[in-house]
Amino acid sequence: MKRLLVAVVLFASVVLLASGKLTIAVDVEPVGLDPHLVTAFASHRILENVYDGLLRFGENLELLPNLAESYEIPDPYTIVFRIRQNVKFHDGRPLTVEDVIFSFKRILDPETKSPAAAFYQDVDSIEAVDERTVKFKLKKPMASAILPNFAGVNSSIISKKFFESGKNLQLETNGTGPFYLAEYVAGNYIVLKKNPYYFVQGQPVLDEIKFVFMPEELSRVAALKNRDVDMAKISEPLNVRQFSADKYNIFKSATLSYYLIGINTTRKPFDDPRVRNALNYAINRDAIVKTVAFGEGVVTGPMHPSIKVWALPPEEFEEYKYNPAKAKELLAQAGYPSGFEFSIVTSARYNFDKVAQVIQAQLAQIGVKVNIELVEWGIFIKRWRESDFDAFISMNSGSMEPDIQFYRHFKTGGSTNVFKFSNPKVDELLELGRSTVDTEKRKQIYNELQRLLVKESPVIFLYCANQFFVADRSVEGFKLLPNESLIFLRETYKK
Amino acid sequence: MTLGYVLRRIIVSVPTVLLVVLMVFVAIHLVPGTAVDMMLGTQNYLTEDQIRQLYHQYGLDKPLVVQYFAWLKNTLSFNFGVSLRTGKPVLQLILSRLPVTLELAALSMAIALTLGIVLGVVSAVKRNGFIDDIIKVFSLIGISSPAFWIGSIFIVLFSGLFRGFNIFGYVPIDRDLLKNLQSMLLPSLTLGLMICAQIVRVTRASMLDVLRQEYIKTAMAKGVSRTVLIFKHALKNALIPVVTVSGIQLGYLIGGTIVIENLFALPGLGRLLLQAVNERDYPVVQSIVLFVAIMIVALNILIDFVYTLLDPRVELK
Repeated sequence: MKRLLVAVVLFASVVLLASGKLTIAVDVEPVGLDPHLVTAFASHRILENVYDGLLRFGENLELLPNLAESYEIPDPYTIVFRIRQNVKFHDGRPLTVEDVIFSFKRILDPETKSPAAAFYQDVDSIEAVDERTVKFKLKKPMASAILPNFAGVNSSIISKKFFESGKNLQLETNGTGPFYLAEYVAGNYIVLKKNPYYFVQGQPVLDEIKFVFMPEELSRVAALKNRDVDMAKISEPLNVRQFSADKYNIFKSATLSYYLIGINTTRKPFDDPRVRNALNYAINRDAIVKTVAFGEGVVTGPMHPSIKVWALPPEEFEEYKYNPAKAKELLAQAGYPSGFEFSIVTSARYNFDKVAQVIQAQLAQIGVKVNIELVEWGIFIKRWRESDFDAFISMNSGSMEPDIQFYRHFKTGGSTNVFKFSNPKVDELLELGRSTVDTEKRKQIYNELQRLLVKESPVIFLYCANQFFVADRSVEGFKLLPNESLIFLRETYKK
Repeated sequence: MTLGYVLRRIIVSVPTVLLVVLMVFVAIHLVPGTAVDMMLGTQNYLTEDQIRQLYHQYGLDKPLVVQYFAWLKNTLSFNFGVSLRTGKPVLQLILSRLPVTLELAALSMAIALTLGIVLGVVSAVKRNGFIDDIIKVFSLIGISSPAFWIGSIFIVLFSGLFRGFNIFGYVPIDRDLLKNLQSMLLPSLTLGLMICAQIVRVTRASMLDVLRQEYIKTAMAKGVSRTVLIFKHALKNALIPVVTVSGIQLGYLIGGTIVIENLFALPGLGRLLLQAVNERDYPVVQSIVLFVAIMIVALNILIDFVYTLLDPRVELK
């Protein structure tokens, strides 16, 4: 009898757990739905729950099998993926090796104009070895460096037949992910529903997730308090404090996105590395974290300190220790004993303007006068792209993989090297790093690179802010990842 | 109102609308940063060549004059194009947002007119009395407070006060009327109170003007009751400036109230416009402006017609 009772209770709790509808208030609405084209952060957050890549990120951003149930790197030029069996797209068609090959051919097709094409530019060939195996041949020995890209939304696997039936992927979706897109009312909300075919047993737990778009933080806070929503993205640490931990579940995590000062290394006086380093010494990073992020953030070096495999912690860099006297000394050596004047271009998003104000005050103490040019985001992007700045303050999305973190920013002529930075030793290390497979050797290379980047300082790395989602007490199983991904929604449930 | 008058007004309005659209076209293209810039942001992985191809694909590599006339030609054949960012047809986007904005405008105007006219009349009749002073202070606060502030105060007051009251989360009117009205209450109250404040002032001033006129004295001498005097003889004549102000305000509401729509997360035209401007989604921006310009012109013609109803001496020739 007892056993029966336990079984009934267990069964009931599983049924209860296995149902539910979650409403989440988010700040930004997706811009487009084609997984191979979207660049907007908000689109990625939705699509990562609808589509799958060959690999995916785990809780600590470790690479895990996904549509590929395993992979191997027989040599630095080759990656072999073994495709999972019995996976179905939302329309019920089975996933095949053709779909995988077609997806990457589409990404690489210049006509598609996929931002992911650049990740795979050194791919020489993609071929099916048998019905379950796909082999990527590379032009350069960079199999390790390229691997994390396979977990990105832009590398999602789409259905060849669905696409070839003339569907516009910007408007319609058909993935293999835990949820399918059931309803999208522009400007209002998106509803994702449980994918009955999802290949992971017992996932997703929720039947339905509704993302409601609320651009104003005040509204998200009020909606959560009013129980109009179960969960909300809260950006400002001060607003998080309005929610007591005994009534709400507060989900918090570090982010890899880092605040930075970018410097145009061709403009005077910044063409002198000593001047750039003087700024390093004169900036009190802890003070910025305290005043702008209310302590909710960590000072960072070239890589986020939590990525212990690769990152050198900020304490390792002499230049990152607040030392205005040393800054003045460097300025005097460079021929600017009484300081100089320059402009910081920035935009009023993500507190960039506040960071700029703190830096303005800090640099004033070594006699450097900062003029803050606050511009609209579109204007900022144009000036950024054209390197039309002395310096700028912005935020970059960070990566776990040093090649992705550094290559395009710091390689001479790199696609986002708006600093016009060029250093032969840096170029050499970047090439060496991406073509080395042995982790220990790579670590040595990237250690040297990080030290050199701080010494040369085309970029002054500042800090990474924490991110927050606040939810009703009933919401459990959710986790935030440092890359701000929401893939743990598949394990989330309501008590 | 003659058909000829309407036709003439429509013909005269065409250059106005075209001028508005041209000005917006030039303005949005003069602002630095293009649709392609916004798409790529500061994380782009594309080569210069791929970026050039994107410009070509969206037709943004052509001279502005060519782009303008291409857009105009398509628009005149009712082809409003496709949103550069979302890939959705522009007309569909606008039509999906319009009901929200129209409902918000109608409700706000209803609140503003009902409250505004009543308070304005009371204020004029009780001129310089205690009630008049209170109404004057109320309207001064209404005129000087920004919408986002009043809206925020409402949100703070209402959230948590009535559990289950649907402050956020717009529900279409045909799906659930009660939930729809709940989600519309605070935004329309915010806008309604602001516009009400202006209507109170205009009604008061206009009523005072009319009440001083000779025919009112005559009516009083004839022994017309106070209620009939105020509401029939005075108010009807005092309404012309009120209609003018309301017309202007209604035009403003139809253009979409960006701040309020953002604050209350309403999927209206204003939010679509703001998003389109931020993303430099040119076809969307231009079509919304064209749409709003036409609506405002139509509204103006309609208001002229209301004048003739209020005052038979007004003739539309």
